[in-house]
Amino acid sequence: MMKNIYQPVEAVIENIIQETSAIKTFTLKPKTDFSFVTGQFIELTVPGLGEAPFTPSSDPGIKERMDVTIMKTGAVTSKLHEMQKGQVVGIRGPFGKGYPLHKFKGKDLLIVGGGVGLAPLRSLLFSLFSTIDNYNKVLLRYGSRTANDIVYKGSIGEWAKRDKFDIVTSVDIGDPSWQGNVGLVTTILKDMPIDLNNASAIVCGPPIMMKFVTLKLLDLGFKPKDIYLSMEKSMSCGLGKCGHCRLGKFYICKDGPVFTYEELKDIHDIWD
Amino acid sequence: MKMETYFLSNEDILKFYDRIVKDYQLYVPVKTKTPIKIACDYGFSLPTDDYILKEYSAVNKEEIVFNEYRPIEPVRTFFNQYKEEVGEYFAQETIEKDKKEKPVAISGIKNCDIFSLKIQDFVFLGKDDDIVDPFYKKRRQDALIISGDCPGFKEACFCRAFDINPYCEQGFDFNLSVLNNGYLVDVNSKKANLIAGSIRDLLTPATLGQLSGRSAKRDAVIRKLDEHLSHHKIPKKEVLQEIVKAGHNSQIWHEQMRTCVECGGCIFMCDTCHCFLLSDEISGNNSKRLRVWDGCLLKNFTRVAGGGNALKMRYMRLRNRYIKKFDFFIDNIGFQACCGCGRCIDVCPGRIDIRNILRRLYDEKYLPAS
Ligand SMILES: Cc1cc2nc3c(=O)[nH]c(=O)nc-3n(C[C@H](O)[C@H](O)[C@H](O)COP(=O)(O)OP(=O)(O)OC[C@H]3O[C@@H](n4cnc5c(N)ncnc54)[C@H](O)[C@@H]3O)c2cc1C
Ligand code: SF4
Ligand code: SF4
Ligand code: SF4
Ligand code: FES
Repeated sequence: MMKNIYQPVEAVIENIIQETSAIKTFTLKPKTDFSFVTGQFIELTVPGLGEAPFTPSSDPGIKERMDVTIMKTGAVTSKLHEMQKGQVVGIRGPFGKGYPLHKFKGKDLLIVGGGVGLAPLRSLLFSLFSTIDNYNKVLLRYGSRTANDIVYKGSIGEWAKRDKFDIVTSVDIGDPSWQGNVGLVTTILKDMPIDLNNASAIVCGPPIMMKFVTLKLLDLGFKPKDIYLSMEKSMSCGLGKCGHCRLGKFYICKDGPVFTYEELKDIHDIWD
Repeated sequence: MKMETYFLSNEDILKFYDRIVKDYQLYVPVKTKTPIKIACDYGFSLPTDDYILKEYSAVNKEEIVFNEYRPIEPVRTFFNQYKEEVGEYFAQETIEKDKKEKPVAISGIKNCDIFSLKIQDFVFLGKDDDIVDPFYKKRRQDALIISGDCPGFKEACFCRAFDINPYCEQGFDFNLSVLNNGYLVDVNSKKANLIAGSIRDLLTPATLGQLSGRSAKRDAVIRKLDEHLSHHKIPKKEVLQEIVKAGHNSQIWHEQMRTCVECGGCIFMCDTCHCFLLSDEISGNNSKRLRVWDGCLLKNFTRVAGGGNALKMRYMRLRNRYIKKFDFFIDNIGFQACCGCGRCIDVCPGRIDIRNILRRLYDEKYLPAS
């Protein structure tokens, strides 16, 4: 029999980190090594219940295990949040195209994340760390709802100390313990030390955030071809067959999930 | 391989089927009366009976007919079943299931169905095993396709509007064309050749007279079908993408969806629709995965966590179906994902008619109201 594209591979939950009240990072150890490039996604199976798409948040250089950072929102994610170390899930993939790192060579990179959208971006950051000589500088602008909703809290400070990295975070709603910026993530997209003629922007977050960030970036002078967006739509197969994730002439699962705004700008209702 | 054509007499058609049944699970057309009768509103007298495909061993031989037009069910049901197990996972012990099925032979499919298989093949097959649906591929490659000319057509048939002829010239193993006293049998594959070789006594090479008789019959059906379609004024395939794009904000979608009861009939009976959902269930100590048909006329097709839905309004869902068929597929494979079989017209309790929608889109783009 040929390969069964619908069959999940067994993976054991090795570790669970509570990032925020609604977000956990799961370390999975697949039965066989699993490689992906940053920005690609997987379908994660809760046995007997079903699958949902997630983007690994770990270093793509590591093949034996993988992290996924998951926000609890519905059936599959709630069940996942109840699961314990040692339990078994399934994975299929990797799917899609991921970030075109070769196109970022020699550039200033502006990475903009919102909420759990920092998950895929973390795997991108890991990829950049190991190839940092290829890029001029990396700016990360990250927004979350409140200080309690920030993921990878412990790591962000460390990343900021790295050579060539410039990181600013913001929260929508401040509180007395929060020292940083208060306001939507678009409010920290100004006065950036960046060469617009030689920069790429990479955006990942909820659709409404991506919409306003894209508009802001265009406003700042970014060209549509230099804005990379991680699109999200209802998905099932991950393979360009089930029809759920169509956007214009594309299937997000197969042709994306990363697209330039240039590719999408003439398509109706891309943020819905 | 060069296609050979033979004559098979009326008395021998069952012998032909009997031979096929030796190697295949054969489905044959049987007439059925259905309550759906779309009358022709300008006076043509067109047949309204329907045909279904039944397993050969389960029918009385007298019931078997040569169907005048396509059967009720879309041909894809033979390769991609409505609900099908496509995986079983994490059993403690691996259960070896004997899933051997005899390959199917399907008699009674028409050229619209043959056209639609190009779309299904595009979706479910592929160059690389990482993207091929193994269940579809197995059935598809093993199947024996016995197509047939359409000596008649239904009110809902509109293949010719998209330059698809009501007879087949490729894409089949055998093709049957009715003559007065028998059939012309085209043999068009190695598989078919092997079978034909074993029943040479039933087959005589087609004569020139028989071949030109068939051409004349084919031309006559085309003339009548073209006259029928001239009343419907369906836009040509070359403008489909353009009018669907131009009509994005048209009121047509809203108006037409007023009578939709969201039954899903149009997507499930469609020859060219292919969407599905992977759905898991517990089965004993094990879990299994099902591939279940799904489609964009259904409300939850694009729902995501948190309640978002890119196709939240009914008009968006109807429009999505047209964008998919006439914009997405034209961009991706160069032709429309609609074969003109009219099954969606027959099935719709809301009388929503694809021909009417396309014509209205055309009129709005090209004949603006003065
Ligand atoms: C390419 C991609 C990458 C993603 N990466 C992450 C990530 O790293 N971390 C994270 O927390 N979330 C991610 N998401 C969102 C995540 O897939 C949804 O939160 C998840 O599907 C919700 O499933 P559920 O069963 O809990 O929700 P329910 O609302 O109960 O959904 C039931 C089913 O609907 C479908 N569905 C619902 N929401 C979505 C959605 N947003 N996208 C696709 N299908 C959906 C799924 O098939 C799901 O099983 C990603 C989505 C996509 C498309
Ligand atoms: S649509 Fe055309 S090919 Fe199909 S059954 Fe009708 S006449 Fe035959
Ligand atoms: S849209 Fe209607 S006419 Fe076209 S292939 Fe589907 S069922 Fe047939
Ligand atoms: S068949 Fe008609 S009523 Fe049923 S979902 Fe389709 S358009 Fe709506
Ligand atoms: S998820 Fe099935 S086509 Fe994209």
